[in-house]
Amino acid sequence: MSALLRNWPWIALGLAVALTTHLVSVELVPHIAMARVLAKVGPANAIRHGRRPDETSRGVVRPSPDLLYSTCPYDLAAGPLRVTAPVPPGTYWSVSAFDADTDNFFVENDRQAGARADFVIAAQGTRPVTHGLPVVFSPTDRGLVLFRTLIDSEARLAEIDRVRKAATCGTLGKP
Amino acid sequence: MAQSSLSFVYCEWGSGLRMGIVWKAAAAVMGGIALGLVATWLALAGGMPDSVADGPWQTSLSIGSANAGARTRAQVALHGLFALNRGETIYYTARRDESGGALTGDCRYRVSGRDPATRWWSITAYGADDFLIPDPGKHYSVSKNSVRRNAKGEFAAVVAADRAEGDWIKVARAPFSLTLRLYNPDPSVAADPAHAALPRIAKVACG
Repeated sequence: MSALLRNWPWIALGLAVALTTHLVSVELVPHIAMARVLAKVGPANAIRHGRRPDETSRGVVRPSPDLLYSTCPYDLAAGPLRVTAPVPPGTYWSVSAFDADTDNFFVENDRQAGARADFVIAAQGTRPVTHGLPVVFSPTDRGLVLFRTLIDSEARLAEIDRVRKAATCGTLGKP
Repeated sequence: MAQSSLSFVYCEWGSGLRMGIVWKAAAAVMGGIALGLVATWLALAGGMPDSVADGPWQTSLSIGSANAGARTRAQVALHGLFALNRGETIYYTARRDESGGALTGDCRYRVSGRDPATRWWSITAYGADDFLIPDPGKHYSVSKNSVRRNAKGEFAAVVAADRAEGDWIKVARAPFSLTLRLYNPDPSVAADPAHAALPRIAKVACG
C-alpha cells in the first residue's frame, strides 16, 4: 500500500500513457486497414477487374463468390476522378466509394443509376469544373471505388463480365 | 565552469536515486503502452459493434454507416471492410446453430426456409480465417437464383464436409461461419433486422 502511495505519480503517468495509446491506436486501425488494401489493389486512379472470388481470394475478408468485384483506388491530389460504367441489365449492380478512414460516403445501385453511371469524385473543399457531371465529394484525398456485379445466372456470366469490364476510372480530363 | 557542471550531471545520473527515477519513468511509459494496446485489442476483438440477433443470425446496426464512433469504425474496418449500408445490403453472420452449438464441419446442418424478403440473397460459408473454404467443386454458397424449392416455395440446403444430394455448401472439418447477404432488402427488414423471417440452421448429425 505504501509503495502504491509513494509511486502514485508514476502510476498516474502509466495510466495516462495507456489511455493515450488506446485512443490513438483505435483511431489508427481504419487508416492501417485501408492503407493495406490500397497498397495491395494496384496503382491509383486506374480500374482493376478482380476475377470471381474463390478460396485463393485473400485480399479482403469474406468475399462473395456470387459477385464480381472491380476496384479503383484513387488519389485526388492529381485532380478529380471521373467514373463511368455501363450498368449490366437485369442484375444487381452497385458502385460505392470509401474514404481513407473506410467510411462509405457514396453508393449507387443499378436501379438508381439507370443504364449508365457517369460522375466525378472530388476532394472536399474543392470546386471542380465537371461540365455538368454530378459530383460526389470525398472526405479524404485517398480512397477506393468498389463495383459489385451480381452473377444472377451462370449462363449470363460471360455477358455480365463483359459489361462490367467496360467501366472506366481515371483523373478527370486525362485520357 | 563547464567542466564542473558536466561532472555534476554525471554524478547526479550516476546516483542510485536518479537511476531509480529513469527506470520508473521507463516502466510507467512501457507499461502504459502495453496496457493501452491490450485495451484496444480487447475493445476490437469482440466482433461487430451494435450487434442484434435474429435466431442464430447476427447483424450490426452500424455497419456501413458513415460518422460512426472511433471504436465502431475500427471494428468495421477489421470485420466488415467495404460493407454497404443497411438500405443497400444487410449482412447476417451465424457462428452457432439454432440450438446454440458452435458451427463445425464435424457436424452436418440443414439450412432451410422460404426466400427472405429481399431482392436477392445468398448464404456463404467461411473458414475461421474469414476466407472461402477450399473446394475444387466450388460449393461455396447457395443463393436465390441457384437454390431448389419445393411446391410450397421452401428450400433446404445441406452444410457439411461430405457431399450431399441437392443444394450443398461444402465446409472443412473445422469451425466455420455462415454469412447471409440480403441485397436491396425490403424496407421492413432494413428497418428492423432483428425480426426478419430468416432461414433456420438445424444440426442434423455429428461425426
